[in-house]
Amino acid sequence: MVDLTRRTFIKGSAAVAGGTLAAKRFLFGGFETVEPTNKLLLAQQIREDFVNTTCWIGKQDCGIVARRIDGRVVKLEGLDAHPKNKGTLCPKGVAQIAAVYDPQRVKTPLIRTNGKGGPGEFRAATWDEALELIASKVKPVLEEDPKLFLWQKGRSKAKVFYDTAFVKATGATKLGHGAYCSDAGYRALEYTLGTHAVLHPDFKHSKYILSWGWNITNAGGNKTCWITWPQQMLDAREKNGLKIVHLDPRLRSAGPFADKWVPIKPATDMAFALALCRELIALGHLDEPYLKTYTNSPELVGPDGLIVRGELPADAEEGDQPPALVWDLATGQAVPHAEAQDPALTGEFDVDGVPVKPAFQLFTEHVDPYTPEWASDITGIPADDIREIAAEFGENANIGASIVVDGVEIPYRPVGIMAYHMAQQELGFQTVRAMTMVSMLVGAPGAVGGQLSDFTWKIYKNYAKFENLKVEEGPYDFTLKNSKFFPINTGFPGIVAKVMQDPAKYEVEKLPKVAILHYVNPLTAFPSQKDFLDSYGKFEFVAVLSPWLSETADYFADVVLPTATMEKYEGPSSASDQYIDGKALRLPVMDPLFDSRGEIEIYIDLCEKLGVLYGEDGYIAQINKALPLEDEFALPLDEKPDVRDIFDRWSRMEGLEGGIEYFEKNGVWIKGEVAATKRYGYATDPPFKGALHRLYGESLLVAQRKQQELGADEVYWRDYTAFPTWRTPTFEQSPAEYDLTLISYHLVTHKQSRTSMIPLLTELSGKQRLDMNPETARRLGVGEGDEVVVESHNALTGETRQLRTVVALSEAFRPDVVGMPHHFGGWSPERNKGLGPSPNEIFYTGEGYMVCTADQSFHVKVRVLKG
Amino acid sequence: MAKYAMAINLDRCQGCRACMEACKIENNTPQAVFWMYVFRTETGEFPDTKMSFMPRPCQHCNNPPCVKVCPVGARFRRGDGIVLTDADRCIGCRYCEVACPYGVNYYNWRTPTEAFAAYDVDFTDPEVEAVTGGVIPPYKNPDLDRPQGDEQRMTAGSAHSVGVMEKCTFCVHRVEKGLEPACAEVCPVHAIHFGDVEDPEGPLSTYLRERAGFQLLEELGTDPSVYYVGGGPPTAETREIERPLTEVQR
Repeated sequence: MVDLTRRTFIKGSAAVAGGTLAAKRFLFGGFETVEPTNKLLLAQQIREDFVNTTCWIGKQDCGIVARRIDGRVVKLEGLDAHPKNKGTLCPKGVAQIAAVYDPQRVKTPLIRTNGKGGPGEFRAATWDEALELIASKVKPVLEEDPKLFLWQKGRSKAKVFYDTAFVKATGATKLGHGAYCSDAGYRALEYTLGTHAVLHPDFKHSKYILSWGWNITNAGGNKTCWITWPQQMLDAREKNGLKIVHLDPRLRSAGPFADKWVPIKPATDMAFALALCRELIALGHLDEPYLKTYTNSPELVGPDGLIVRGELPADAEEGDQPPALVWDLATGQAVPHAEAQDPALTGEFDVDGVPVKPAFQLFTEHVDPYTPEWASDITGIPADDIREIAAEFGENANIGASIVVDGVEIPYRPVGIMAYHMAQQELGFQTVRAMTMVSMLVGAPGAVGGQLSDFTWKIYKNYAKFENLKVEEGPYDFTLKNSKFFPINTGFPGIVAKVMQDPAKYEVEKLPKVAILHYVNPLTAFPSQKDFLDSYGKFEFVAVLSPWLSETADYFADVVLPTATMEKYEGPSSASDQYIDGKALRLPVMDPLFDSRGEIEIYIDLCEKLGVLYGEDGYIAQINKALPLEDEFALPLDEKPDVRDIFDRWSRMEGLEGGIEYFEKNGVWIKGEVAATKRYGYATDPPFKGALHRLYGESLLVAQRKQQELGADEVYWRDYTAFPTWRTPTFEQSPAEYDLTLISYHLVTHKQSRTSMIPLLTELSGKQRLDMNPETARRLGVGEGDEVVVESHNALTGETRQLRTVVALSEAFRPDVVGMPHHFGGWSPERNKGLGPSPNEIFYTGEGYMVCTADQSFHVKVRVLKG
Repeated sequence: MAKYAMAINLDRCQGCRACMEACKIENNTPQAVFWMYVFRTETGEFPDTKMSFMPRPCQHCNNPPCVKVCPVGARFRRGDGIVLTDADRCIGCRYCEVACPYGVNYYNWRTPTEAFAAYDVDFTDPEVEAVTGGVIPPYKNPDLDRPQGDEQRMTAGSAHSVGVMEKCTFCVHRVEKGLEPACAEVCPVHAIHFGDVEDPEGPLSTYLRERAGFQLLEELGTDPSVYYVGGGPPTAETREIERPLTEVQR
């Protein structure tokens, strides 16, 4: 008998297994071995290590641990210590590994060899040649007028290096996504409360929220992305019994988490909000101390619509406004707001022979016609439901209650509003203002469980600017800043596209000449595609920074610079989940693939070639200011910096021993809990950081009058009203045969256009489709999977546009609404062609669809025809 | 010995499919193969529509019909409850696929190279190979190529070979290392929990004890090791929406 040791036994087994394999290989012609295809994997000594980094594909840079085998990334998992994702990842975060290895990325710098405006032909270039070419085109423009150099971004992942330092070093005009995202909501909050954010619930304490749009199961909120958002929401449901009232024509966006689904008609949210305000007032759910002290509700308004003001104090500084007067019930006279003991909210008074009313009295009168019955006709929501929601909201607000958090007693109003993407409609700015007023009536802004916006209660610079809106005479710059068209406007690509097509109409003399497009793909990402096709060809020169040849690069880039994905240093990013604060850095998971490079490195080299890298106002100096890096940590202004060293200096300056090694080892720097005195507006010193909340929008009315004076058309000035005022949206004026409203929405598997480049995510999400209620489908004679043509109509110009897609049936849709996810529509790389069109191809921008603060409408009337 | 089981909380699942993606990357499954699958469903008519989400991995039955029908002993249930396929033994007869009432088995019609090519990404690109050494997919997990457990059988499912059945392994290669399956690890809303149900004081037993739940197709007597808490099982009125791309592309 052979005495087998365990070792030889195992060897023997392996030999048998090998025999089976050989036989199978014979029997199945196309059989590929179950043995590893790579000899590397057979080696006994596989080198496994882990790299801490942050997510590159999504919005909020979640903490990631990358598992590597012999230096090759094989898996991305969530970093346990990161407050935003707590050891988890979303599908995008997991799938971005495919982006790292995608052979269809741009591999080398490319220089265009054919004409622009159609599919591009490019030749490979060296970095030196490509950057020289960009510098040679940009430099003369910087010398002539740096504002004619446009730096446009979709999403930048290290604002200090790009949006701030590069833009300042060059003097470029910066353009973000504007109201193609939630900018109208940001402006509404900056105007009304002073905070730089859209409405965001305080999940830790919230019990009742009104939630709009696709966010709950697909996108999260404006400050915390999906992952942080649903984690906190689900915990609130389990711990606080949080109830969600979901307002959306589409149930899918909240799915099973809608305790009550209110299938509101698209773009009628303001009517709903105004009816809620009316009901809250009628029911007496009013937080009078808050309204009297912290809002301009008691300020007296004259018959001219202007706030009645007293005398300028002796110590007033230039530009100070005289103090607004209120009627003090304690003394029976008009006194400055700050001096009143008991300001009146209602009534009519006489000041120097002029009849005046508190702003709140005017608001009560303003909303009085907006009854639930009136709103029901517009919104499609039964009047009783509106009454019920108003009553529930008011009762859950617990007006007068307070709670002790971190040892501080703070008003407790556990009613929140999630209205992030509600901003994306024609009346976006005023609609978000109206919803904020719902919150204000019950005293919920800045209260525990109430309305938060940012992680800490800070007043944004626009709050003061908006007190006096600049409405100037032309000529205007190409963003129409301070114009009679859009007095509130912080840069909107739709405006630039329209202006480039017809500068005279907008009283613009100088158009941008050269552009750097930083991770932005207007051709598929923004409505309307036609406007970008008709305008971006007018740039003398365009350089694109992107890992892939985006559609915009394909049609319009003169030079494409290939950027790395996760293989680079970038940051610092906030790790805050709004309760725990922290910072993290993106660390390279590998060396950049192909001939790609990290953006910070690219801008350093580009600035050197532009002659703006060194010296007092150069890029290095701007990095020092923006990060900031001070004293011994500051970068020398005459030495080309190394990116890792920049972050090492920053880490040391922040007091982290070991510098960047701290992040290499820990992945995230936890700074600690956000104190209640920083988070809640009521608890800051002074409360709400001293910014009076604007129920009454006096400066909006003043702007409207200036717009009229300067001869602006009604379409530009009609929504600059002191209170949100309902009107029927433009798109509703299309002829009756356009009988359906098209909406677009977000899928959890996608984010901007970069995710559409990852086939693993398309596999999960499926291709483009037109969601439709089965009742609508029956009427049209179409069924699941049938091809249809969707034709949109521009109510102002009569223009029609078409796309072709397939039907997907769902009972979770209003029968008068059809929907499409706002992803897809790409053709570069080639493999994306079959995924279907983007709704942005048939939306419109411009007058009627780009309104007030340049609020972009994502609503259009369509008819659906059998394909 | 431990007895592994999974709890899936349908009151937390958001249907995001991160578990599907983590499974695909961890187990290197090719296009249109989902060892973990998430149903997105609706019932009722507008406006009384209800929606739900339900992840469905292999149920790792305590009384697994797939094991009984396997003519070659390739499909087997380990002592710790994990039901696995020995890729070396499987003859691809697909009896397990027919016997399983949960639809979790996949038959490999294509070679891995063909199957990954369906993503329309050329992983044989020389510049990618220069970094990956030619492995397909580039994120290939070497753990799958090792024999697992006491049996030392090729059960982690690396093969994805023509003529072989495959399905969820509860990430046996991770469990062997003391890690939870990739789907449980990634779940952004902590809806998936994995652990030892033989340990009465263990976190999984406690989690299940505190919540009402059900097993899928309980009436069939398969006794799944996957327990659903919250929500409810699908009914005859349940309609699936938003399917992933389950057809082979190209």
